[in-house]
Amino acid sequence: MAVVAVSALAVLVVSLTQITFSLTTLALALLMLLGGALRFKVLPNHPAALDSVALVAVFVIAGPWTAVAVSVFGYVAQLRQPSPLVKRIFNPSYRVLAAGGGGAAYALLGGPVGSEVLDDIPRTVVAAMAGTIGHQLANALLLSLILWLEGQVRVVDFLKSVIGPTFLPMLGYSALGVLLAVTWIGGLGIASCLLVVGPLLVVRWALSQYQAERAAQAATMRAFIQVIETKDLYTRGHSERVSAGVGMLGRQLGLPEDRQNALEHAGLLHDVGKVGVPTSIIRKPGKLDDAEMDAIRLHPARGVELIGNIPFLEEVKSAVLHHHEKYDGTGYPAGLSGTHIPFFARIIGIVDAFDCLTSTRSYRPARSVDETLAILVQDKTTHFDPELVDAFVQVIQTQGWSAAAADQPAPDQSVQVSIDHDDLSLGTGGGASGSAAGPA
Amino acid sequence: MSQAKEFDAFEARRLGSGVVLSVAGGAVGLVALIITARQGVTGWPFVIVFGLLIAVGEMVQFRVDPSRNRAPIATSASLAYVMLRGPAVGVPPEVAQIVAVTGLATLAGIFPRAIAGLPWDLVISSRRVLSVAFAAVTFELVTPDSLYWNGSWTHAVPLTGAMLLAVLSAGLTDALVGAGQDTERYNRPFPAALRDELAVMGRIGLAMGISGMLLAAGTSLIGLWAVPLVVVPLLLTQFAFRRFASAQRTYRTTVRSMARSTEIAGFSSPGQNARTATLAVAIGNDLGLTPARMEALEYAALLSGVGQLALADPSPGGASLLRTREERQRAAEIGASVIERSGVLDHVAEIVRHSNDPYRHGRASNADIPLESGIVNVALAYEQLVGEGNGQSPAKAMESIGLGIGAEYDPVVVESLRRVIGRGFRF
Repeated sequence: MAVVAVSALAVLVVSLTQITFSLTTLALALLMLLGGALRFKVLPNHPAALDSVALVAVFVIAGPWTAVAVSVFGYVAQLRQPSPLVKRIFNPSYRVLAAGGGGAAYALLGGPVGSEVLDDIPRTVVAAMAGTIGHQLANALLLSLILWLEGQVRVVDFLKSVIGPTFLPMLGYSALGVLLAVTWIGGLGIASCLLVVGPLLVVRWALSQYQAERAAQAATMRAFIQVIETKDLYTRGHSERVSAGVGMLGRQLGLPEDRQNALEHAGLLHDVGKVGVPTSIIRKPGKLDDAEMDAIRLHPARGVELIGNIPFLEEVKSAVLHHHEKYDGTGYPAGLSGTHIPFFARIIGIVDAFDCLTSTRSYRPARSVDETLAILVQDKTTHFDPELVDAFVQVIQTQGWSAAAADQPAPDQSVQVSIDHDDLSLGTGGGASGSAAGPA
Repeated sequence: MSQAKEFDAFEARRLGSGVVLSVAGGAVGLVALIITARQGVTGWPFVIVFGLLIAVGEMVQFRVDPSRNRAPIATSASLAYVMLRGPAVGVPPEVAQIVAVTGLATLAGIFPRAIAGLPWDLVISSRRVLSVAFAAVTFELVTPDSLYWNGSWTHAVPLTGAMLLAVLSAGLTDALVGAGQDTERYNRPFPAALRDELAVMGRIGLAMGISGMLLAAGTSLIGLWAVPLVVVPLLLTQFAFRRFASAQRTYRTTVRSMARSTEIAGFSSPGQNARTATLAVAIGNDLGLTPARMEALEYAALLSGVGQLALADPSPGGASLLRTREERQRAAEIGASVIERSGVLDHVAEIVRHSNDPYRHGRASNADIPLESGIVNVALAYEQLVGEGNGQSPAKAMESIGLGIGAEYDPVVVESLRRVIGRGFRF
């Protein structure tokens, strides 16, 4: 840390001796300040400041040394947030060094400065790209170093999840920096910021709106699921827990981000079709007759009917439709077996059963997690995909399960036999008999 | 028979301005083409590159708000072509040539979309040709020939001002035309439509215009090198917008699907929520609500019955259980608290909460109750009377709703309903 701070100070002092001060230097400092203040998410979940765009412009307008000198101002906007002294020293220091990295790359490729730029555009563009890459690399290197020293986040994860995805977009936006410089030199001076900031603000607006829409959708779906679950006291929170459970399993299986999201959606929505099953049947104590059972077997199809128009991945719909299929082909609605059952449906089937067994039912108390895992393993060849069961058991054993617990109603002592459509004819003692588990 | 005739008239009126705009756009383009052909083309490289940009931009257009497609790259490129003045350009293009290039390139961009069966809209494209023509004339008028990018601020600042004027004139033209079209298509009051168009222009429109200015200034100074430097960030911007637009669509369909759950549960007949919402939206348009309020109104109308889900089962046959006002108000209250739970639809919840309050005990005495609640109330009542299976004639239904003016229903809303029905609105 001290090394970073000292070397930054050294670079800063050298740069101050290399430049001549003028009104332009002041204007450029203002530009850097603006670049640092305009933080936004280059990609969803990947916040980054736009000082990289401003920095490229300074390379082109006044050369790398000035850029290094004014790069400190990019930090000013962050002063508003309270942070420990260590960070207050490190943050501006690494900015200076990162700017130095970019500046070195720009100078190495012989990037022209000031009014020479208009005579040699190709070289300017190439050098500016190199400058951006140099800046990004130095930036990533310094941040990795700190993370490595702190040891909280794995450097590889950081590079993969933050630097990797933002690298190309930042390179693209830095083209705006070159244009900013060109119009600045072309006579507009600092007013040229207006031409660049406008489009960038729109990008920021679009990205924040995107986040807002996604969040709104998730919240709305969750609220809606809660309404449907009011039909049955005993299944409260079930859908959210299944969504969390399939999420854990999905991450264990290393699904890509869009499929992971789709899987969690499918977990949340898998019982949405229950809204079409009369409450009297869902709440009915005692054994259900065939007609009532048929009504319950309709719920996957009802669910698909309901969510069919939402532009989810196709996998979400097939998962909702087939989450009651069984590996040996005795499930419903289609009686699919083995790997004919959609992948997501197999995952949801396991977590669905797991959550059901670990929650209280009117006719029995909740089972323990270990007991339930044993049941799953015991039945893994008949009901479930054996490999997925193994993966799930491993996830639960390593990460634990924040169980249903909390606000569950107690079992109703007066109820002798009852059937939950999710409950399985598994293990011994209690649970549903054959009819709930599919055609006998 | 007379109903069908009315409907036809309704449809024809919808097409009216579209035809006019397309013809006007086509005519302006054709005249410009003829003039250009006679005078000869200046600056072929710029014609080709900007023409290509406009065509490609048109090809990758996408839908951002519910009703229209946008082609930001095409708009920025055509505006930039209007405003070229500088050492790298040589002789700047004439107005006629600008319009001709924009028109031809736009057609070239639409053509592949039409062949591929993608949505395209000649009217929107004609609107662009027209507003670009306005921008070109404005820029030509306010910019003396001696003004060009020469590296001095004495030229740069006035040029930027002129570009801003040109961009604003294009935006204003488009906003006026758009407001006129909205008025015609959705029967929105013109001032309200213009206010909404200007709000959109101030955000997306100005950003496209400023990108155009940047491209123009850059090209004037460094020639065609500026094109990739602007287009790459513009593509990233467009990518961000596409994601946003698709998330918005997903959300909208999610709310609609959730609303259909009352039908699947048997509380309402198929399509009932959708019909109620269509009518509520028509009334909202007639009253000139802002887009944000329109959206909340539509959601509230769609979701107004969702509270019933938490009640007992519907009676066989799906007939409404909730015959008394108290029951309906209780369902509305439950629905509102359900919607509130999402945390993002508070305004919608407020509308639903009061959607079954009679006017006299509600809005008449309590100004905090939103107008939208009154709209949903009337739309629900009208749908109950006229909607599928109930089959009253619109006139008869208007009559029974008229009996409830001031007591049950908000007079402003009922008047609006009368206008909407009078214009030929049918489910």
